[in-house]
Amino acid sequence: MIFLQLCADGLLLGAVYALFSSGLTLIWGMMNVVNFAHGDFVMVAMYVAFFAFTLLHVGPLIFVPLAAITLFMLGVVVYFALVRHVMRGPMLGQIISTFGLALFLRYAALWAFSANFVSLPDTLVGGVYDVAGLRLSASRLLAGATALVLTLGMHLVLTRTDLGSRMLAVSEDRTAAALVGIRPDPMQALAWGIGAASTGVAGALIALFFYVSPEVGNSFTLLAFVTVCLGGFGSVPGALLAGLAIGVIQSLSAYFLGPSTKDVVVYALFIVLLWVRPQGLLGRA
Amino acid sequence: MAITRRGVLAIPALAALPVVAEAAGTVRIGYIEPLTGNAAAAGQSIKQAAALAVDIINTPHSDLAPMPLAATAGLPRLGGAKVEVVWADNQGSPSVGQGDAVRLITQDRVVALCGAYQSNVTLTASAAAERYGIPFLTGESVAANLTERGYKWFFRTTPFGPDFGKLYLDFLAYVAKSGVATGKIAIVHENTDYGTSVAESISSVAASRGVKIAQTISYGANGTDVSPQVLELKNGKPDVVIFISYTSDAILYMKAFKALDYRPPIVIGDDSGFSDPSFAKSVGDIAQGVLNRSAFVAGKPGSLPYKVNALFKQRTGRDLDDTTARSMQGFLVMCDAINRAGSTKPEAIRAALVATDLKADELMIGYRGVKFDPHGQNILAYSLMIQLDGKEYVPVWPTDQATTKLVLPFKGWT
Amino acid sequence: MKSLPRVLLVAVAGVLVAAPFLSDNPFYQRIAALTALAAISASAWNLIGGYGGQVSFGHSVYFGLGAYSSLLAFTKLGVPPIAGAPLGVLASFVLSVIVGLPSFRLRGHYFSMATIAIAALAEVLVTNWAFAGGAIGLMGPANARSLADLLFRSALPYYALFLVVLGSLLALTYLMQRGRMGFYLRALGSGERAAESLGVPIRRYKLYALLISGAFTSLAGSLYVVMIGFIDPNSGFGILVSVNMVVMSALGGAGTLFGPLVGAVILVPLEEMTNALLGGGGSGAAYVVYGAAIMLLARFSPGGLAQWWSLLAGKGRRGAA
Repeated sequence: MIFLQLCADGLLLGAVYALFSSGLTLIWGMMNVVNFAHGDFVMVAMYVAFFAFTLLHVGPLIFVPLAAITLFMLGVVVYFALVRHVMRGPMLGQIISTFGLALFLRYAALWAFSANFVSLPDTLVGGVYDVAGLRLSASRLLAGATALVLTLGMHLVLTRTDLGSRMLAVSEDRTAAALVGIRPDPMQALAWGIGAASTGVAGALIALFFYVSPEVGNSFTLLAFVTVCLGGFGSVPGALLAGLAIGVIQSLSAYFLGPSTKDVVVYALFIVLLWVRPQGLLGRA
Repeated sequence: MAITRRGVLAIPALAALPVVAEAAGTVRIGYIEPLTGNAAAAGQSIKQAAALAVDIINTPHSDLAPMPLAATAGLPRLGGAKVEVVWADNQGSPSVGQGDAVRLITQDRVVALCGAYQSNVTLTASAAAERYGIPFLTGESVAANLTERGYKWFFRTTPFGPDFGKLYLDFLAYVAKSGVATGKIAIVHENTDYGTSVAESISSVAASRGVKIAQTISYGANGTDVSPQVLELKNGKPDVVIFISYTSDAILYMKAFKALDYRPPIVIGDDSGFSDPSFAKSVGDIAQGVLNRSAFVAGKPGSLPYKVNALFKQRTGRDLDDTTARSMQGFLVMCDAINRAGSTKPEAIRAALVATDLKADELMIGYRGVKFDPHGQNILAYSLMIQLDGKEYVPVWPTDQATTKLVLPFKGWT
Repeated sequence: MKSLPRVLLVAVAGVLVAAPFLSDNPFYQRIAALTALAAISASAWNLIGGYGGQVSFGHSVYFGLGAYSSLLAFTKLGVPPIAGAPLGVLASFVLSVIVGLPSFRLRGHYFSMATIAIAALAEVLVTNWAFAGGAIGLMGPANARSLADLLFRSALPYYALFLVVLGSLLALTYLMQRGRMGFYLRALGSGERAAESLGVPIRRYKLYALLISGAFTSLAGSLYVVMIGFIDPNSGFGILVSVNMVVMSALGGAGTLFGPLVGAVILVPLEEMTNALLGGGGSGAAYVVYGAAIMLLARFSPGGLAQWWSLLAGKGRRGAA
C-alpha cells in the first residue's frame, strides 16, 4: 500500500516536473539555448498566481491562464531583447546571458516581494480524495492532470499542425527554413513564448501546494535540465516520460533508501542512461 | 603615488589593527545575517530588532531602566558615543559570511561582530574574527561545535544543542507522568550543521537517560517534496516527532501532514523554521498545537520583555519571535560589554565580555542571566516550551511560566 | 603603430598586477587575491572548455577534490593543508581517466548535462559521507602552527601565491596553444568528426587537456581552502562553482589565453563591490545589478570581451573562437 502511495505521489509530482520541463525542451531542442532562468520563470508564475489570488480574489480557473499569458509575454520579450542577439554568438554567450537573466529575475523578485515565504491557502483547491486507500490531494491531481493534457497538447500542436511544422523546420535548419519562406524570428519568438507559457501554467499549479519565495527557482532549474536531457532534447513526450519517471524514482528512493539519497539515485541512473543511450529516452539519435 | 606601507610576504601577523571609531563619538559594530536567501525573513526580522536596540541604547529610555544602557544616551563610559550597526548579507553561504567578516573588520573597521544565524556561516565568520582578534558574539546560532574550537574571541549568549536536548526530554518526562505515551521518539532533521548538531545533542542526552531514539530521518534542506519522509513517519508510528528544520521545509512538512492525513500525537518544532513569522502565516491554521521552544515570552505587562515587545510591535506590527529576540539580546550584551570596557580596543572588550555577569531582570529575554564559561558559552541560558494556539505561540511549560494549559495530542487542522 | 596599443596593454596590466602590493587597503587586496584565484579556475576550465570545446558544467568536481583532499589531510593526518594539494591533483588524474574519458563519448549538450549530473552526484555523495564531514564540512587550522599552514592575516601573501600559480598555468596554456596540442584542439573545435576523419588522435588529446585542466582546478580548490579555511559540499562541489568558471571564461573569451583572466577581473570585483555597497540593504539590489550587468555584457559582446582586446591590440584573434 505504501508502495502504491509512493508511486501515486511520485507520478503526480512527476507530471508537474514534466510540465515545466516540456517548455524547456521546446526552447532547448528548438534553439539550442540553455535557459538557466527556466526555474525563475516558474517562480514568476507562482507570484502571478499568488497576487492574482490575494489582490484580485480570483481562483485557479482565472489565475492559471493569467500566469500563462503573462509568462508568454515575458518569454517573447526575453527573446527579442536578449536571446535573439546572443544566439548569433557562441553557445557560451547564450548560457551566460540566461544565467544573468536568472539572477536578475530572482533578485528583482526579492527586492519587489521581500524574502518572506508566502503560500496560497490549502483550501483553495481543497480536499483529499481517498481512492482505494490511496490519498490523493485534489490540488496535486489537478496539477498532474493539467500537466498531462497540456504536454500532450503541445506535442500535438508541434507535430500535427502547420504552425508546428514551421516551428520544427526552423529548429532543424534556420537558413533552409528561411529559404522556403518561413521567417525564423517569429517562429522562435513563438517557441519562447510557448515554452515560457508552459512554465506559467506549471508555476500557477505548483503554487497550489508549494510555498512561494524568490528562491524557489533554484530547485526547479536543475530538475528541469535533468528531465529534458533524460527525455531527449526537443522531445515533448520524452519530457513527459522522463518527468514521471524522475518523480517516481525520487519518491521511492526517498522512502526506501533515505531522503538524502533520492538525488543520488536520480543522477546515477541518469548518467548510466546517458552512457547507454546518449540521445535520451525519446530524443533523435 | 606615495607608498605608505608595503605588504611584505610571509609575515603571519600584521601589527594589531588600530581600532579607532571612525567618526568622533561613534562605535561601529558589524552584524552579519541572511538578508537574502532562504532564511532572509529571519535575517530581516533580526535587522529590525537591531534597529530598535540601537535606538534604546542611543536615546534615553528610562522606563526600561534595569536594562543596561537603556536609561542613558549612547555609551556612558565612552563619553556618550553612539552605537552604529554596519550590516552585511551572508546570503546563507559560509564563504560569503566569512568574506563579510573580513570586510567589516578591515574595511569598515568595526570593533566587534554579531551574527550570523546559520551555524555553518557563524563557524566561518567567527573563524575570521578569531584570526583578526576581534570579538564575535552570536545570539542565535546553536550548533555545539561553535564553542568547541578553543577560541578566545567567540562568545555565545543563546542556549545550544545540549540545552535543547535536556529541555525536550525533561518536558517529555513531565508529559509521560500524566499517562501520555512518549517512548517512541522520531527526529527529522535537516542535514547541515544546525540540524545534525542539534539532532546529535538530543540523541546523546537521550542516551544518557536510557531513552532510545526510534527513528532519525536526515534530509536535504530546501527540497521540493517531503511526502516520502512523512510516509516513513506514518509507518513508524512514533509517539513524538521532533523537527529540526528551516522555514521552507517546516512549511512543506505541515502541508504534507495534511495531505497524507497524518497527525503524530506530539509534534515539536525546534525553533528556526517553526518560529519564522512566515510559518504561522502560511500554515499556522493546519499546524495547531505544534510545540516549540522559546527563550522569549512577552509575559506580564510592566515586565521588561513585555515593554520591549511593545516597542517592537509599534515598529513592525508584529510580536518578537524567539530567534529575533535572542539575537537582539546578544547584540545588547555586546554593547554592554563595550561600554564596561570603556574602550574600543579588542582586548579590553574581550576582557569585559569574559567578566560579563548580567542578572535576569536586566535582560529582555527569559535567560537566568548572562555569564560565560571558559568556552564562551552562556551557562545561564534558558528556554521553555511554547505551543501554537491560533496565530500565536503561548508558553505551556514549565507550568509556573505557562499562561495556558498544554493541549495534547497535536490538533493540526480542523 | 601596431605595437603601441600592445605596449600600452602590457603597461596597464603590469600596473594592475602590482597595485595590490602598493596599496594598503586590505579590502582591495582581498579582492585581488580572490580574483587571481578565480582566474586560475577559469583558465584551467578554459583548456578543456574553451580550447577543447567540451563545455563542462561539472568542473566543480575537481575543485571539490582539491579542497577536500587538503582539509582531509589536515584533519586526519595533521599536516598543513597545502600538503594535501598533491593528493588532490593525483585524485583528479584518476577522476579524469575513469570518469572523463568515458564521457567523451557524449556530444554537445549531452556532454554538458552529464558533467552537471556527475558534479551533482559528487555533491550529494559527499554530503552523506560522515568521514568527509557530511553536510557540515571541514575546517582548516584555527591558528597557525607553523609557516607551512599558510595562515596570513593579510591577503597579500595569498595574492602572490595565486599569481605564481596563475602565471604558470598561463605559460603552460601558451606553450600548449602554440604546440601540437593546440593545433589538434583547434581542429577539434572546428569540427570533431572532420578532425577525426583526418586522423587527429582526438581522444588522446582531449584526455591530455582534461588531465591538465582538472589538475589545475584541483589545485585552485586546495588554494581556496588555504585562504578561506573551510569547505562544505556546497562551496566545494556546488553548481555555482562550476557555473562561475564557465561564465568568467566565456565573458572574457573562451579559447583565448587571457579571456578567463579578463572575465575574472571584471566579475569578481563587480560581485564584491556590489555586495559591499548594496548587500547590507538586503534588498537584493546587489544581484539585480550583477545579473543585469552580465546580461548586458553577454548581449553586446557574445564572443567574449577578448574580441575587443584583440581589436584594440591590432592583432588577429588567437585560439579557437
